[in-house]
Amino acid sequence: MALSNSRPNGNATVAARLQKELMDIMTKPTPGITAFPDDENMTVWTATIDGPAETPYADLVFKLSMEFAPTYPYVAPTVLFKTPIFHPNFDFSGRICLDILKDKWSAIYNITTVLLSLQSLLGEPNNASPLNGQAAELWDKDPAEYKRLVLARHKAPEDLDA
Amino acid sequence: MADDAYMPADEDYAHLQKLSSEYAPEATGPLVGERQSSAAITTQYATADPVYRVKTAALPAKYAYFRTCRGDGHCGWRAIAFTYFEALLRVGDVGKFEDEEARLNSLGNLLAHIGYSRDIWIDFAEEAFELLRKLAHSLRNMDGQAAEILLQTFNDTSESMAIITYVKLLASAWVQTHSDDFMHFVPMGDVKAYCANNIEPTQCEADNIGIAALAEALVKPAGFGLEVWYLDRSPGEEINRSFHSEPTDHHHVPIPNAPMLRLLYKPGHYDILYKAGDVPRVHHQPPPPQQSLHVALANSFDDFQPTASNVADVMTMIPGMYPTGLGQRWPSLSYDFSPSPASCAQVTPIQPYAPVPTPITPVSTSHLDFVTPIHSGHTSQYNRPSIHSIHLDQPPVTLPIHPPPPPVSIDRAAPIGLERGGPFRPSMYELEPGFGSSMQVQPFQTSIFRNSHFNTAHYMNPDFEPEQWCPDGDYSNGNKGRHKLQSS
Repeated sequence: MALSNSRPNGNATVAARLQKELMDIMTKPTPGITAFPDDENMTVWTATIDGPAETPYADLVFKLSMEFAPTYPYVAPTVLFKTPIFHPNFDFSGRICLDILKDKWSAIYNITTVLLSLQSLLGEPNNASPLNGQAAELWDKDPAEYKRLVLARHKAPEDLDA
Repeated sequence: MADDAYMPADEDYAHLQKLSSEYAPEATGPLVGERQSSAAITTQYATADPVYRVKTAALPAKYAYFRTCRGDGHCGWRAIAFTYFEALLRVGDVGKFEDEEARLNSLGNLLAHIGYSRDIWIDFAEEAFELLRKLAHSLRNMDGQAAEILLQTFNDTSESMAIITYVKLLASAWVQTHSDDFMHFVPMGDVKAYCANNIEPTQCEADNIGIAALAEALVKPAGFGLEVWYLDRSPGEEINRSFHSEPTDHHHVPIPNAPMLRLLYKPGHYDILYKAGDVPRVHHQPPPPQQSLHVALANSFDDFQPTASNVADVMTMIPGMYPTGLGQRWPSLSYDFSPSPASCAQVTPIQPYAPVPTPITPVSTSHLDFVTPIHSGHTSQYNRPSIHSIHLDQPPVTLPIHPPPPPVSIDRAAPIGLERGGPFRPSMYELEPGFGSSMQVQPFQTSIFRNSHFNTAHYMNPDFEPEQWCPDGDYSNGNKGRHKLQSS
């Protein structure tokens, strides 16, 4: 009984929470990242991350999708890279291997902290548990080839939908 | 079976391993249940390992009540948070709620110290403060709703998760700001990493460090103690205490008679325990013997998900009484006692009662089987109708048959009988055609009769038909039923 009652309540909470996050992002934008809801029900957002300077991803912009369950923030959002990316911890479908999006998710994280974590992961991959083994290997062995593959795979956001 | 011949590839093993490691039994039941007799724990373990049987049989004598928490990975945190608020209610001092809000607010310093600014945690904390205010408001108005508000708040996923998140943050902040106390118990002495991996994630069970931290940060400064009782298969005749935090004041002087928060830990799961003295208003609690009476009637020990409503719906155990349309059915019950020749033979009190082998016999037997291991003290009572009637004198089982019934016509009774489906055999008296119009006699009203086994509502009566217990039905209307009963 209590549970069925709390379902709609949970949706109201997630909407309120996402509204608040949107307000924070609009009023205090963080350089290098953007995020905005796709539609008015706010459960799907599109975000962008600028590649950090002095990394193979410098001057590149990456587009991501973020999907929020009704139980957010008590479960992690589902985050996917929409821009094709060559990186040890992201696979070719854009799936992400990052502990804070899995079992280490905490309700105190938010959209901004997730995007900042992904941004720092671009420059500091976790090569111990790669999704993309080739990238993990080349990261240390052959930075030039790594950079070439990053650029070969990358597409500018405006070309994505075409 | 034919597939066994083929050797699964590594990926298949990996897939199976993944399924296995991610498997979690589906958590059911309320997030926090109603307080109930701990005899139900004994029942749950009645067919378990002998060590469990011995330990759980000894449990009700010391800890009269318990409360379930849903085993969804948050149960330890939830149990501490819930009992903390409940202990505040037990103290019953409105001013203490305000003190606690101020104190918890000041713990923001700890959170700031570990790098969490107010806007990170205030949304979660606000739910806890709001609950403090609601409870204080209820106490101030003496509307008697405080316990219900507490239970409802903790059964609201969103509100309770916010409170749980907040207390976990407090635990993390306490561990990190008291790293000297904890560093020897965490890997590499890295308390920050430990908290990030074992306390702050949304899905992490409370461990000893988290509980010790909350005992210091949340429980002790409020003047409460915290203890965890461990029910496992280790040798012994009683549960052992695996954690204890004495209630002390600011000068480390023990506070006598301070509220104790008690958790029952079974490997991987926390519930809440109470001593009989922990329960403030005993008259709100159904006496344990009656609870076990109802449990026995449920006939479904394995699926038993006890709530106080089990007891509340005791009226539905009476033949002819059904959860729906209670008021409508009373009249037909009253006519059970009509002196028509057919019924006279059964209900006339002067006739000596002779046990008749009828379908009820197995019910009584299973009842005794069930009670014996738990309340050895009560067992004999159930064997003797004379003492048994004392139990039935207690309010929850009193059968409200005294109001003189309005005449019931057959036209009205017949559809009632037809609409009833399910496994019940209607009492032979209930739909006796014709008696309703021909008889205008007051039914038996003496409490002696009402409480005797000559009453068909008595489980010793040969025509007694127990209501079959349906857990889902209990949950859907349980609380309401309880209130009805208490207010009547």
